[in-house]
Amino acid sequence: MSTPEQEAKPLENGEGEGGDPSGFLTDILGSDVTVKLNSGIVFTGTLQSVDGYMNIALEGAREYLDGYAVRQYGDSFIRGNNVSYISAGKSPNLKN
Amino acid sequence: MLFFSFFKTLVNHEITVELKNEICIRGTLKSVDQFLNIKLDNAETTDGARWPHLCSTRDMFIRGSVVRYVHLPAGMVDIDLLEDATRKEAAAAKEKAK
Amino acid sequence: MEEKDEGGHAEPLDLVRLCLDEVVVVRLRGNRELKGRLHAYDSHCNLVLGEVEETIYIVEEEEEDEQSHVRIVKKQSEMLFVRGDSVVLIAPAEGIQDLRS
Repeated sequence: MSTPEQEAKPLENGEGEGGDPSGFLTDILGSDVTVKLNSGIVFTGTLQSVDGYMNIALEGAREYLDGYAVRQYGDSFIRGNNVSYISAGKSPNLKN
Repeated sequence: MLFFSFFKTLVNHEITVELKNEICIRGTLKSVDQFLNIKLDNAETTDGARWPHLCSTRDMFIRGSVVRYVHLPAGMVDIDLLEDATRKEAAAAKEKAK
Repeated sequence: MEEKDEGGHAEPLDLVRLCLDEVVVVRLRGNRELKGRLHAYDSHCNLVLGEVEETIYIVEEEEEDEQSHVRIVKKQSEMLFVRGDSVVLIAPAEGIQDLRS
């Protein structure tokens, strides 16, 4: 009886190929991410948490405008409706 | 519900509503609903020269979604009460999400 | 997930809760920014801020030399309700550093 359950589990966690997209977000909690907003502003930082609205909490966030760092935050909360994408890792096109 | 209750405590007081299209309207808050739609009495624009067509309007209904800010009289706000209500609302929202 | 709940940082809005009665910077749509003490918020990011300074960044295009410069307008308000749909970012003012040289 344990075998089918074990096969189903990765799907429930969103880890497998058939997992839902938000599974990706829970997988990258605690790692460095790049967040782009609809306005074009880019943030990098450590992903503390995400919720169903795609609200985001970043630790040690850095804000980039046209690829240049303009501001450093301790913590920051980003309202989900402004988010264009969240990508794992730090984008290579950013200076300092 | 927090802000609906909050605005109900401000009924019959003077507020200034700043809309997303830059228009500022000062008036007496007559009523508010759950969408934070606002009914103002004795309304007047703070810059009548810029929006002359609004000068003659005394009663106003403002759809909540067009509001950017509401400037409030600081003396009317019980800050400790408001912060406590906020913590309670946050706790209740979390309980509901579980 | 249950362990994280007890840590108090399970969801993004917890960060805002920790800012209650602290001075925050709020970035808004339309090149606006507020700095003030956070007295209330809800899940829509509706806010009440006290002793607020609003900064508006107005980009002015100059057609002659095709240069644009930013004009900054500052306004004060003793108590301000902010509708959540304009909010982009909320952060504690402490720990913010300007990196432009």
